[in-house]
Amino acid sequence: MNRKVLFVGLILVAPLLVMLASGLRHDPREVISPLIGRPAPEFALLDLEGRRLSLADLRGQPVVVNFWATWCQPCAAENPIFAALARRYAGRVRFISVIYQDTPQAIRAYERQRGSWGPALVDPDSRTAIQFGVYGVPETFLIDAQGLVHEKVTGMVSFDGLTRSLEAML
Amino acid sequence: MISILGRSVVLAALLLATLGAVMSFAAAQRGAIAGVARARRLAYLYAVMMALATGLMIYALVSHDFSVSYVAQVGSLATPLHITIVSLWSSLDGSILFWGLVLGTFTAGAAFHLRRSAPDHVGYMLGTLFVVGIFFTFLIAGPADPFAPTPPPIPTDGPGPNPLLQNHPLMIIHPPMLYLGYVGMSVPFAIALAALFAGRLDRDWIRSLRTWLLVPTGFLTMGVMLGGWWSYEVLGWGGYWAWDPVENASFLPWLTAIAAVHSALVLQRKGTLRAWTVVLVVVTFLLTILGTFLTRSGVVNSVHSFTQTPIGPAFLAFLGFCLVASVIVLAMRMDTLASDPDRETLWTREGAFMINNLLLLVFMFTVLVGTLFPIAAELVRGVKVSVGEPYFNRMAIPVSLGLLLLIGIGPALPWGRADNRNVRRALLFPIPAAIAGLLVTFAAGGRTWGVLATGALAAYAVWVNLDQGLRLSRKRREDEPWTEAVGEAVRRGARRYGAYLAHLGVIVTFVAIAVSSSYQTAQEGTLRPGESMTVAGYKLTFERVDARPEPHRISDRALMRIEHNGKDAGTLEPALNRYDTRMEPIGTPAVRTAISHDLYLSLMNVGTDGSIGMRAIVTPAVVWIWIGVFIIVAGTAICLLPAGLRFSRREDAPEPAAKPVAETTA
Repeated sequence: MNRKVLFVGLILVAPLLVMLASGLRHDPREVISPLIGRPAPEFALLDLEGRRLSLADLRGQPVVVNFWATWCQPCAAENPIFAALARRYAGRVRFISVIYQDTPQAIRAYERQRGSWGPALVDPDSRTAIQFGVYGVPETFLIDAQGLVHEKVTGMVSFDGLTRSLEAML
Repeated sequence: MISILGRSVVLAALLLATLGAVMSFAAAQRGAIAGVARARRLAYLYAVMMALATGLMIYALVSHDFSVSYVAQVGSLATPLHITIVSLWSSLDGSILFWGLVLGTFTAGAAFHLRRSAPDHVGYMLGTLFVVGIFFTFLIAGPADPFAPTPPPIPTDGPGPNPLLQNHPLMIIHPPMLYLGYVGMSVPFAIALAALFAGRLDRDWIRSLRTWLLVPTGFLTMGVMLGGWWSYEVLGWGGYWAWDPVENASFLPWLTAIAAVHSALVLQRKGTLRAWTVVLVVVTFLLTILGTFLTRSGVVNSVHSFTQTPIGPAFLAFLGFCLVASVIVLAMRMDTLASDPDRETLWTREGAFMINNLLLLVFMFTVLVGTLFPIAAELVRGVKVSVGEPYFNRMAIPVSLGLLLLIGIGPALPWGRADNRNVRRALLFPIPAAIAGLLVTFAAGGRTWGVLATGALAAYAVWVNLDQGLRLSRKRREDEPWTEAVGEAVRRGARRYGAYLAHLGVIVTFVAIAVSSSYQTAQEGTLRPGESMTVAGYKLTFERVDARPEPHRISDRALMRIEHNGKDAGTLEPALNRYDTRMEPIGTPAVRTAISHDLYLSLMNVGTDGSIGMRAIVTPAVVWIWIGVFIIVAGTAICLLPAGLRFSRREDAPEPAAKPVAETTA
């Protein structure tokens, strides 16, 4: 038995395994957004009624931008969270959503059933989604009063987490 | 029906692997020839079972049997047939099944090829391969079961495989090549462990080790290159390598495998570096498992990552088992593999090999640290970080230049005891070539020190390797009758010709990488129909966008008329493809490849008003990267073929390389 080899080998191996085990808890879809701290990409889109809404018009208060689609299960699940928060922060935070790879007809039918908590914007050719680096839905961007991206949430938002972030931005 | 059949076959394979492992180790310990022969037959049977399971899955895919969960996950009626077959490895569960097929094939192949080797060696080797087989078959049987029945209601159609994988024919060959390289590393690992268990690494077994190391190394080289090529042709950012964790995962074992190929040569030749070579081979295998874990467990962020899966913990357990078991076996048995006494000095070929090993290992550690750092940072400081290209490039450039220098001076140096005057002469002789290389590079517009150094070192190395190759054939012709001499030279020298050819391939690749990454010209613009943009001597005129519906996607193609230096150079059609699935549109760049440079067009977006966003990149020498790697692989193949033939035909012939050295430079 070569004790030196055993000793050195185990010293190299043990921390590696601990580290990798810790990594298992990590969510690979949480891609770090390069937009954090930078100005949010500008957009001017039409909502389902044909009204124009641009991000620049909303400057001065925090904006929550949620990318979603009717075919997305987690999006449906986070719908009541946004509805509740939009009521709670009415007049202080703007909540808007951008429709991702979906049709206005499907969105209208969906909103008739489940209600709406803010303007849903049509994004032709997903150009805005591409500018925001959206990888899948749902993804939510929190933009502060100065128009800088404060935070990106990949996947479903949580009521408490979003509340904390909004309080920090106000 | 397929579910039940598939699961039964996989369970049978699991049983065979378990039985085989027990039988192999038992027979090896007793040195029982009959027992080892029985274990070998189990290896063949195991391979047949894996092939059968894979065949069943392909049948299920082709017949769109959505009652099989994997088919429901990746199948789609609209997907063309060849893509349907390829979707076997487009998603996690299927890729593990394919892994099992490759492992089975390699196990059976090694069992057959080495059937006449010492029974204890073969027994331990098969035992080790079966243990690896148990793990992967277990994955297929349980955590990553592709044959699981779809829970009702059974869908009538599926989403189809990941659109990225449907976009380019390179995706059909890149994964299998990579798998052949990755999985194939199990065989040299098993051979190395067998040497440790048996306490013997003799000539016969060294030769087997080298052969079975070269095979997967060749495939891995090819696989890594095809991955870069694919990302260049498909992803649309104009590059071929981004130090993405998964690219790194394939690169790490490649570095140690290349180190091992060289140290195995020293071992074969001089009998030194015995334990060192074994350690390198073991580390290479461990890195393949680590790399697979990183890819399949969702530990790192990457475009390649399969999302969080149940196989993560199982893989970690296997990785832990392999790491700890390797350390223990090495600690217990390494001292049995003492090297022959050596009289090395630095200025010999062995010295060059040592430095080569050192550089490759430094490179490997740099990449490993860069790849694992984000995990460590998240664990220790709870922050998410990513390690960018500059970190890797800072190390990659000097190490690559060092390796290029070694490709030049290594083959020029004599083996063994070196006479100072000869060494000086051998090293100074090609200096004019280096100066010429420097001047040519400067004249061609090279101004950064990295490119100039690459030019000079490459010219030096080309001179030495050509000189060595030609010298070899000259020598043979003088001593013997002409016909015999050529045959003899090719047969005996094939390994060296192959090596010099591979070196030339490496030089070509290095130069192409240096040039292409230093002199790129890019231009972006928004064009309306009829408008043009110019980039590096090209005039690009946008004519129109065609929306072409295909069964599984809608393809928006921008028709671009190309003029090069005022002359018509045809058209290019970069495209954006929209799939019926849930991803953003995927671009297919259009590339016009010429011997000296590539024109690369990437369609960024198509506006509602008919305008397009276009990115045009002109990169010199890109095609030579692929050509260089093809040369490396061809060299590897030449190294292998005659050695393999000689090995099976004249088993107990004396090793020609052991004879006094005739071809050293002097």
